[in-house]
Amino acid sequence: MTHTLSNRLQQPDVLETGSAGKSRRPRKKLSHARSQRRAGWLMLTPALIHTGLWIAIPVLATLVLSFTDYSVFQPPSWIGLTNYIEIWNDDVFRKATWNTVVYTFFTVPFSMAIAVVVAVFLNKKMRGRSAYRAAFFLPQVTATVAIAMVWLWMYNPQYGLFNGALAFFGIPGQAWLANPDWALSAVVLVGIWQGIGLKMLIYLAALQNIDENLYEAAAIDGASAVRQFFAITLPMLKPATFFVFVVSIIGAFQVFDLIYVLTNGGPANATTMMTYEVYRSAFQNFRMGMACAQSVVLFAFLLILTVVNRRLTGGDEV
Amino acid sequence: MTTDIAAPSAPVRRGSRRRRLSPQRVLLHVVLVLSAITMVMPFVWMILTSVKTPAELAQFPPTFLPETWDWSNYPRALEAAPFLTYFRNSLIIATGHTLITVVFGAMAGYALARVQFRGRELVFLGFVAMLMIPTYTKIVPQFLIVKFMPLFGGNDILGQGGSGWLNTWWALLIPGGLSPFAIFLFRQFYLALPKELEEAARLDGANEFRIWARIYTPLIKPAIATVSLLTFQESWNNFLWPLLVTSRDDLRVIQVGLAVFQQEGNTQWAYLMAGTTLATVPMVLLFLFAQRYFIQGFTHAGIK
Repeated sequence: MTHTLSNRLQQPDVLETGSAGKSRRPRKKLSHARSQRRAGWLMLTPALIHTGLWIAIPVLATLVLSFTDYSVFQPPSWIGLTNYIEIWNDDVFRKATWNTVVYTFFTVPFSMAIAVVVAVFLNKKMRGRSAYRAAFFLPQVTATVAIAMVWLWMYNPQYGLFNGALAFFGIPGQAWLANPDWALSAVVLVGIWQGIGLKMLIYLAALQNIDENLYEAAAIDGASAVRQFFAITLPMLKPATFFVFVVSIIGAFQVFDLIYVLTNGGPANATTMMTYEVYRSAFQNFRMGMACAQSVVLFAFLLILTVVNRRLTGGDEV
Repeated sequence: MTTDIAAPSAPVRRGSRRRRLSPQRVLLHVVLVLSAITMVMPFVWMILTSVKTPAELAQFPPTFLPETWDWSNYPRALEAAPFLTYFRNSLIIATGHTLITVVFGAMAGYALARVQFRGRELVFLGFVAMLMIPTYTKIVPQFLIVKFMPLFGGNDILGQGGSGWLNTWWALLIPGGLSPFAIFLFRQFYLALPKELEEAARLDGANEFRIWARIYTPLIKPAIATVSLLTFQESWNNFLWPLLVTSRDDLRVIQVGLAVFQQEGNTQWAYLMAGTTLATVPMVLLFLFAQRYFIQGFTHAGIK
């Protein structure tokens, strides 16, 4: 590398005439450094302005506004911790937090379990592999709103596919999304279905990195495929599992589109989520300060979960 | 995929053919086919519904295949709601976001990967930190910035009095235009390229912008395809932001249009499913034709 550098440095000298020769080299190097620095900052400027205006300032503003009472129509007034105290005592937000946790801890592990099995199946050379992969991945590339519309229709109590299929077996149908006992499960099912694809893909990539020799050695020792899965595949997938888990939790905690289309948080707040409460506070009740405080709570949950998970799975060794 | 099937040497081929016939293999395929059908079923059901007549949709239990394939639902759905306008708006916004991201994201990614200057690592860490901020922790102030954008939509210099960027293309195009994630991806791609090229070019007196545009960027074409596809998809599928900043019908994107159409009472399911198909098909096609880039992008984002 330095070799090329010095080679290159000498070339201009050959072309330049006498006096401009060797004495100019250090200065030229200096101006290179300066022009690089200037170019670097110049190239970063649009990104810095954009990120500053639309992410950095909003995050700080969220923190500050969470201590205010602000209705947009009047200037914000400082009320200290009042919003947080109200959140603590708010049954609806508690319900939303609980629902979010339930939604997350049902969708994430279930779709991870399915994803890892599917990934192991698809990691072999076989006919139709990319077609299978595409089928599992399709819900990931299509819009949640569009997907939710289809599920809304499939869950339809009068004409829906689910009740039709149940009727075929003589089982009476349900108003899945209108029944407080069923609504959250119905939403969770969609979440699991939608979440498999991305997790499968990350697992597939991680499987490529496992040394084939491990399996060969295990096979010689007479380990069954199931045994190999638990003794080799799963332990080797630990870093990927940590990553998938964190990413999925962050995603699942922010479920919104699904709720908006399927249930609007109902019936009787049975499916409302933290994100949905943020939306309601800010854009239906125009309580911007409250919405900010709620989103700070959401953020705190995500931070804690990420850190705890890192400790538990030893993710920091990765 | 074709390379997977066309195994190189004869013995391997014979071996794999024998394996394919084994009961285990058959079972594997049965399981995979069944689960793949389960995964695709909602999409199939969407298309089947979109071509059924209202009379058929009112039957219980529902028919699986349509008795008559009524494709006229599509033109009628377009009359029932301006889905074509929604579609066009989504297309404009997704394209706009992609262009902004590719130009400015690549530029920033290049600067972070290849240009030497003090503070670079700090800036990079800053972008990574911004990457971790969840949508909901910034959405309220983002909305307020749009609302109080000075000198737009009747606002004075202090952002008071009007509606700012609300109900404008600005609000749809600018805030979502560039994500730290794209910058991060671009940096990773530029970082993987050899250093000799830039040194040679720099000493030939080429300026940084030239090196970026002419030498390095042509080398990461697959990366550009990947980031473009991810950005386009993300933008096309986005719902919350356009929902918040637009209320005019002519500015609605297709995802919001669908939700509004569904909530306007008395849902006509065949039309709704026709609209949903319109909202879904571009992404499905894009994915099927560019699967390689999508997968590369998602895994790259995941593993690195």
